[in-house]
Amino acid sequence: MNEEKKVERKRKRFSARLKSSKGIICTDTPGPNIVLCNSGQATGLEKSFIVKLIKSLSSDIQVPKFIAEKGESHSYLLFSTTKNAILFYNTFNGKAKIDENGTPLYMSFVERVPNNEFICQHDNPQGLFLLDNFISIEEEEHLIKYFDWDEDIVSSNLKNRQVKHYGYEFRYGTNDVDLNCPLAEKIPDVCDVLWTRLKEHGFDVGVPDQLTVNKYKPGQGIPSHVDRHSPFGDTILSLSLGSAVVMDWRHHSGKTVPVLVERRCLLIMKDEARYDWQHGIQPRTWDPIIETRSVQMGNNDKLIKVVTSDTVARETRISLTFRWTRSGPCQCNFKTLCDSVEKGNSNDIEDELASNLEELHVHKVYEQIAGHFSTTRHKPWPKVVEFLEGLPPGAVLLDLGAGNGKNILRRNDILQIAGERSSGLLNECKQYTQSIPGADCLRLDLLYPGLKHSCADVVICIAVIHHFSSKARRLQAICAISNLLRPGGRALITVWAKDQTRSNYLCKSKQSQTENEHLITVGGLDLPIHENRTQFQHNDLLVPWKLRNISGNKLSDKPESTLLRYYHVFEEDELSNLCKEVPGLYVISSFYEEGNWCVVCEKNITI
Amino acid sequence: MKLITHNMLTSKCLKGVTTGYPLSIKATNVKVTEVDFNPEFITRIIPKLDWDVLWSAADSIGHSEGLPKTVEPKFEDDEEFLKKAHRVLLEIEVEEGHLTCPESGRQFPISKGIPNMLLTEAEVQ
Repeated sequence: MNEEKKVERKRKRFSARLKSSKGIICTDTPGPNIVLCNSGQATGLEKSFIVKLIKSLSSDIQVPKFIAEKGESHSYLLFSTTKNAILFYNTFNGKAKIDENGTPLYMSFVERVPNNEFICQHDNPQGLFLLDNFISIEEEEHLIKYFDWDEDIVSSNLKNRQVKHYGYEFRYGTNDVDLNCPLAEKIPDVCDVLWTRLKEHGFDVGVPDQLTVNKYKPGQGIPSHVDRHSPFGDTILSLSLGSAVVMDWRHHSGKTVPVLVERRCLLIMKDEARYDWQHGIQPRTWDPIIETRSVQMGNNDKLIKVVTSDTVARETRISLTFRWTRSGPCQCNFKTLCDSVEKGNSNDIEDELASNLEELHVHKVYEQIAGHFSTTRHKPWPKVVEFLEGLPPGAVLLDLGAGNGKNILRRNDILQIAGERSSGLLNECKQYTQSIPGADCLRLDLLYPGLKHSCADVVICIAVIHHFSSKARRLQAICAISNLLRPGGRALITVWAKDQTRSNYLCKSKQSQTENEHLITVGGLDLPIHENRTQFQHNDLLVPWKLRNISGNKLSDKPESTLLRYYHVFEEDELSNLCKEVPGLYVISSFYEEGNWCVVCEKNITI
Repeated sequence: MKLITHNMLTSKCLKGVTTGYPLSIKATNVKVTEVDFNPEFITRIIPKLDWDVLWSAADSIGHSEGLPKTVEPKFEDDEEFLKKAHRVLLEIEVEEGHLTCPESGRQFPISKGIPNMLLTEAEVQ
């Protein structure tokens, strides 16, 4: 009796704490939902623990839905019936042990549980086929036995997973194969059965000549990527063994689609899925459970894909990726991710590297130089003034990458929102715009701006897009601008031009040095350091900023240090071509001005 | 952050969030500064705003008093109304506090009058 009272007192204390700190209302009236007060993701609770408890109760109780939010030390169980919830509560409240110290688990009934489910908005990529149960359980076992290996004799151990190659070795530096160096080990005969079966399924694609075997332990994944276009053919196959997994597909238009790949499933990538989407696996020990539900839409039932807040544990998964090698430039019709598209001197940079590069050589640098930078930017640029002339009262103007706000107009009859990523520059901007009635400042990232679609009559984006280090990201930035424009709205976008011969930038006495130029390696990428005031020799480079400190209101005479800003300098037509790739955006004019390429574009009325 | 700006903010970029609008406001410091009244600006900007959202935002930080819940058809002739709208749109600023996504609960801090809408790559769609 005493023990029971103690448990109840403890339980009440936990409930009160949940209420005051998290706003979770516990109830004494039993229902199907239970909150575990002192156990959650942050305390290391895993779903297997719950499963074990349920199984010890009775084998025919359905395992409840389990919601453990990230960073929380409580979690929820959603039982199918109140009866089961009561049974669980009565059996385990204050009794089940959550750790080696014997800490008891406390719980309470709750009415409301968080709903973290979301509906997947997009269809699967075109050209993606999933042939479930492509092989039998026996065949799977056989293949696992054949391809699995011991930890010690791994041929190649990548950071995230273990790999082995047949036919040709996949080279991770260049993401291709060396056709002159075939491996002694060809794709083993044990795979032969797959090719005839594939043909029976209507895929007449022949026999591949390269195989990469990946072994993923729970917690391991692979960053988002597209298999390089030119070294491999138009079909890629992936056979999953041992565990299901959720693969995330990303399109450069911003669409993301999680796809459940069951074990024994053969995944086929063709067309868009092969060439225009990136795919990856998140490094985690679990996956969300994805359900297909039928909902009524008008008179029809429509199937929707729901990513639930419930999870399932991953097992070790072995994937067999089969490719067809080829040589010569890629012939695909999907240019964004294609390595055969001419991109000046350097190949396009992968997304993860691009974002690291920008963090290091754009965002951090601007934070450091904000004060000094701001003293060098006073007046609005004449072309901006010209573009904004005649803006009617009541207009909404977004200045994205506003810097210190020098382009914000001294007007009291329009709304001007200055968006900027650097907090240092934003503080300058806030001061500068303080006295302007319709001006406001916002910290944002142009790729994910946090503003409503179609909210702007006019957008200006001055000297910003040259800081994005991959074509996909530059395109995404312009897509974001297009989304923010109302139909009929206009944008002025300017970037640094590679050609500086028609500007004041060049210093006649200085020569660019191509022979002994300095290179800096950022994440495996060699970037040349530009010699200021000389003609650009590359498209992707680092431009030094000689930082001078400000004390009082004075700039010191000598530079303290040199910081390197990343730039992608633009070729003629490169910016306008990029704008033309954005659906619904129409280029009105494109011109060169003082070392910059500028585009004025308009959002189509019909889209 | 002025309430006119709040009217356009969304957390839709967050993974799993479908509309992310409107963001709720929790203000710990609100500043009121008098600025020039321009009736033409107010008249022309009102049709571009979500008035319900503006009203609720003003209400949530204790500044809805006297502000009509709906916009009357001939509001442009009603100077008293325009002045009230002017005040709520441009003169009231949230200096410190945070915004909250209605779907995910993700908070966006407001500091020195500037909302921080930055997201990490892991959070975006």
